[in-house]
Amino acid sequence: MTSPAARDPRPRRSLLPLGFILPGLIFYVLFLVWPAVQALWISLTDWDGLSEQQNFVGLENYQRMLDDPVVGTAAVNNVLWTLVTIALPMALGLALAVLLNRKARSSPFFRTLFYAPAVLPLVSIASIWAWLYDPTDGAINELLRMVGLGDLAQSWLGQDSTALWAVMVAAVWVRTGFPMLLYLAALQSIPDELYEAAALDGANRWQRFTQITFPSLKDTHYVVLALSLIESLKVFDLIYAMTYGGPGYATQVMGTWMYANVFQYFDAGYGTAIAVVITIVAVAVGTPFVRSQVRNS
Amino acid sequence: MSTVTTRRRTEPLSREARPPSGAKKPGRLAALGLTGAILIAALLWISPLVLLVVSALRPLSDFLSNGPVSWPDTFTLANFAEAWDVGNFGSSYANSLFLLVIKVPLGVALAALLAYALAKLRIRMKSVTLFFVVIGMTVPIYVAIVPLFTMLRSVGLTDSIPGIVGPYVAFGLPLQVVILHAFFRRVPDELVEAARIDGAGDLRIFLQIMLPLSLPALITVAILDAVATWNELFLALSLLSSQENQTIPLGLLNFQGQFATNYTGLAAGILIAVVPILVLYMFLQRFIVGGLTAGATKG
Repeated sequence: MTSPAARDPRPRRSLLPLGFILPGLIFYVLFLVWPAVQALWISLTDWDGLSEQQNFVGLENYQRMLDDPVVGTAAVNNVLWTLVTIALPMALGLALAVLLNRKARSSPFFRTLFYAPAVLPLVSIASIWAWLYDPTDGAINELLRMVGLGDLAQSWLGQDSTALWAVMVAAVWVRTGFPMLLYLAALQSIPDELYEAAALDGANRWQRFTQITFPSLKDTHYVVLALSLIESLKVFDLIYAMTYGGPGYATQVMGTWMYANVFQYFDAGYGTAIAVVITIVAVAVGTPFVRSQVRNS
Repeated sequence: MSTVTTRRRTEPLSREARPPSGAKKPGRLAALGLTGAILIAALLWISPLVLLVVSALRPLSDFLSNGPVSWPDTFTLANFAEAWDVGNFGSSYANSLFLLVIKVPLGVALAALLAYALAKLRIRMKSVTLFFVVIGMTVPIYVAIVPLFTMLRSVGLTDSIPGIVGPYVAFGLPLQVVILHAFFRRVPDELVEAARIDGAGDLRIFLQIMLPLSLPALITVAILDAVATWNELFLALSLLSSQENQTIPLGLLNFQGQFATNYTGLAAGILIAVVPILVLYMFLQRFIVGGLTAGATKG
């Protein structure tokens, strides 16, 4: 039978929506939100991470960070890492996208090749590049010797002056594919007439790029920039697997230094304080982007 | 610029006045040159992988005597057998596959339910909840590690593959919800309303209308999640300690230390770790590409 209530397209308030939301939300709160909140508390203690003893020390861990030279190094490295691993992949990805945005049959093939490194585990990326950088039998020094630049052959990952940059090269290799894909998708929605009109006006390739292509990609620039920023601030795997923060402390970033403090020096309170600082930065920086995504939808 | 005024008059002229790349005769040579240049760049780009394959297939002695950048005199598969045994890749594979089979369907199912409710159901504080979930994207895993470790240890779930499923699901959820929410929003409300008038409940609408219509999105999310799960290092490194519980990235990390100077064995081990994911990518890449762009360009 069909009562008027069942025909009403507007559902009655029921508890069913909660059944959809709660399972996922429980996992999310239990394993992400709650631990992150607990971290705030732990960062205010001198806990070693294992024993029963846990004393409240106020902001001592945060004050300690100011006097810790490794934190200084890590902070500078995080900033350098963020700048380089955003700017270079974006520029390269945009260049590739513009070059591949043709009706040529080979374009999907090239797209597949350039994106391929992005699907590999970062540990394997680290292994591959450490293998290429090997001072005696690595391909990079070998190539330098082959072309007569043997003087430039050096221990890329083993010296302060080059280690961080050498890891960044690997990072750029992994991360160029993503902006390329997003730019390629966006380029396809720029109307051909714009280019035809510009060509008629006598604009050359570069002018068409700077005056049509680049401004038309404004939304994509924003999305790529925001997602890259979120990704860059989380840096851990590549550094840990390639240099372990060394030589010395030369390539430490907040993530690896926090890990060393928690799992190597059993200083969970201090390590967590380091993590809290970078998390606050990451969440603050990511908030406008997440808000725009939520509002748009 | 003057594009607005010139746009009109281009239409009848457009056939003659294409930009050089689309033009007929002089363009063809330029296009060929460009393809050649891109080909060289692409070869250079994947040369590390090519070098890796070549090195994995040659004996160490051959690698050392001829140098790393050379064509081998002899080929062998022995490196793979050696790397497989020393690196304990058998158990790493079993663990990573187990994780994949449990975690990916569970994570996608939870994300789909949540995203559907936030996209289509009438509930309070929808956008606040969406924001609350999506902001998780920005949280670095390592901030949660000490509390997570303590929590799992208290229930005896550290150094246990099932024990890391929960954190994996939680940290995968934000991105999955963003992508699925974007897709579910695009399903016309009229479809949902029509089904509701026919007497279908929310669960039936979800199972019989939403899921079938969003199958491509679900596949995309599942593949992205599979790649992320297969590749995850930090939680595995922090929560799993014994060798029989290591995942592929963890196994590779330990293996890298042991094989530091056995260059060809190392190359073989790296390939053992990455070949499945590369094959998966080659076959399913259109889903990956489609999903990433759909999920991220809607802004």
